[in-house]
Amino acid sequence: MAEIVDVLFGPLGQGFVRRALAAGTALGAVGALLGVFIVQRGLGLLSDGLAHATFGGLALGLLLGTSADGAMWVALPFTVAVALGIQLVRRRSGLGADVATGVFFAVSFAAGILFLGLRSSRSAPVNVEGLLFGSLLAVSPEALALILAVALLTVAVLAAIGRHLAYATFDPELAALSGVPVAGLEYTLLALTALVVVVGVKTVGVVLVSAFIVIPAATANLIGRTVLGIAGLAVALGVAGTAVGLFASYHLNAATGATIILTLGACFFAALVLRRR
Amino acid sequence: MSEAIRARAVSVELGGRRVLDDVSFDVGQGEFACLCGPNGGGKTTFLKAALGLLPLMGGTIEVLGTTPQRARRAVGYLPQAKTFHTGFPARVVDVLLAQRAGAWPLRVRGEERETARAALARVGGERLLDEPLAGLSGGELQRVFLARALINDPRLLLLDEPTAGVDARGRGEFLDLLAGIAARHELAAVLVTHNAGAVRRLAERVVYLDGRRLAWGPPSDVLEREWGEGGAFSGRDHEAGPQCEDE
Repeated sequence: MAEIVDVLFGPLGQGFVRRALAAGTALGAVGALLGVFIVQRGLGLLSDGLAHATFGGLALGLLLGTSADGAMWVALPFTVAVALGIQLVRRRSGLGADVATGVFFAVSFAAGILFLGLRSSRSAPVNVEGLLFGSLLAVSPEALALILAVALLTVAVLAAIGRHLAYATFDPELAALSGVPVAGLEYTLLALTALVVVVGVKTVGVVLVSAFIVIPAATANLIGRTVLGIAGLAVALGVAGTAVGLFASYHLNAATGATIILTLGACFFAALVLRRR
Repeated sequence: MSEAIRARAVSVELGGRRVLDDVSFDVGQGEFACLCGPNGGGKTTFLKAALGLLPLMGGTIEVLGTTPQRARRAVGYLPQAKTFHTGFPARVVDVLLAQRAGAWPLRVRGEERETARAALARVGGERLLDEPLAGLSGGELQRVFLARALINDPRLLLLDEPTAGVDARGRGEFLDLLAGIAARHELAAVLVTHNAGAVRRLAERVVYLDGRRLAWGPPSDVLEREWGEGGAFSGRDHEAGPQCEDE
C-alpha cells in the first residue's frame, strides 16, 4: 500500500509538480465557482471567447516589447476590456451574448495574429504552441503567486456579491425591483471571468482554459438541487478533476492540460448517464 | 393621506413609439382598480413605469406619495410574463425569501422558512413550499408569485394579467384570492385584465387605456357608459373597445 502511495504521490517531491498542483487546483476551484453563474446564464461560450481575446492581449504585450511572462500584464487589462465591451454591446444593441462574444472573439484573435506579425524580425521567437496549449508543469513561482492572488480576489468578491448575483441570475427584472444592481453585477462577473481566463491561459492555454469554467459547473448543474449545493459540487469536481488529471498525465507521460480536461469531461459524461437513470 | 398612485400627463416611449401619451388618473389607498384596454394599449407599460422600470418622456407618477423607485419596497408586483430562468435551481421557498431579503438565500433558517410558509398560506399554497419552481403548473406558479408579491406586506399590489394562461378552474380560484384581498381593503391594487367577470367582481374603479385615450370611473360607468351611445367610445364595437371580454 505504502509503495502504491509512494508511486502515486512521489511526483510531489518535485517543486514544479507542487506548483502545478497548487496552480491547477486553484484555477479548478475558482473557475468552477465562476462557472456556476456563467453556465446558469448560458454564457458558456463567453469564457472561450475571452481566452481567444487573451491571445490578442498577450500578442499586444509581445509587440510592445515585454517578455512572454510580462505579456500577461498587458493581457489582463486587454481581456477585461474585451469582457466589458462584450457586455456593453449586449446591453446597448440587444444582440445575444453568443453574437457579441463571436465578434469580439474573432476580432481579438485576428488582432493577435496581426500583432505577432508586426513584431520586429530581431525579436525573440514566440512559442505560439505554448500560448495556445499552455504548460501547467512550467508554472513559475511568480505565475503561481499571480494565480493565487486572482483566485483569492475572485473568491472574496463572489463571497460578497454571490447572493445578489444568484438572484440576478434567476430573474434580472425581479432582482432589479428588489434593489439589486443587476448591470453592475454582470460587469463584475465578466471582469472576474476575464481575470481567471488570463491567468488560466498560462497553465492550460487558450484552447482549453474555458473548460475549467464550464465543465465542473455544467456537471454539478446536472446533479445539484440548490445554488449552494451546485457551487460546492462544482468546486469539488474542479479541484479533484485537476489533481487526478495532473497525476494521471505525469504517470502516463501525457499532455497535462489535455489530460485534466479529459478527466473533467469524463466526470461530466458520467453525471449525464447517472442523471438519466 | 396621499393616493396609492397619482399619474399626471404620463408619456412613455418604447423603441421610438409613444405607447402612453398624456395619461392621468388616481388610484386611492385601499382601492382595487382594474386596468383594461386593447393589446398594445400601454397597460403593462404603465405598470412598469409605476415600478420605475421605464423612464417617462413626460409627466409624473407618484406611488404612495413618493417616486416609483423609492416606493418599490412597499409595492408587490406580479408580472405577466414569467421571465425567470427555468433551469435555475429554485425552490418556492427560495423565491419567496429572495423577495423578502433582496438576495438569494443560500441556506434557509427555521424562522425564514416559517415566514415563507405563512406567505404561501395566505394564498392557499403551503404544500408548494419545497417544490422546485420549474415543475409547477400555471395556476400554482401564479399562487407562488402572488405570495411573493405579498410577502413584504405591501401597501400597493400591481398584478399584470395574472390569470393569462391559467385554466378555468385555476382562474376561478385565483379570482377568489383576489376577491379576498379586495374585500379587506388593506392595500391598494391595480389589476391588468381582459376579463370582464374579474372587473365586475373586483373593481371599484376601472381605467381604460388605449395609449392616449382614457376612460376611468366605477365599473358600471366605464363598462357601460363609455361604450354606450354618446360615450367616449361610442360607435366602436365591444371587441375594439373595452377589451374586457368574458373569458
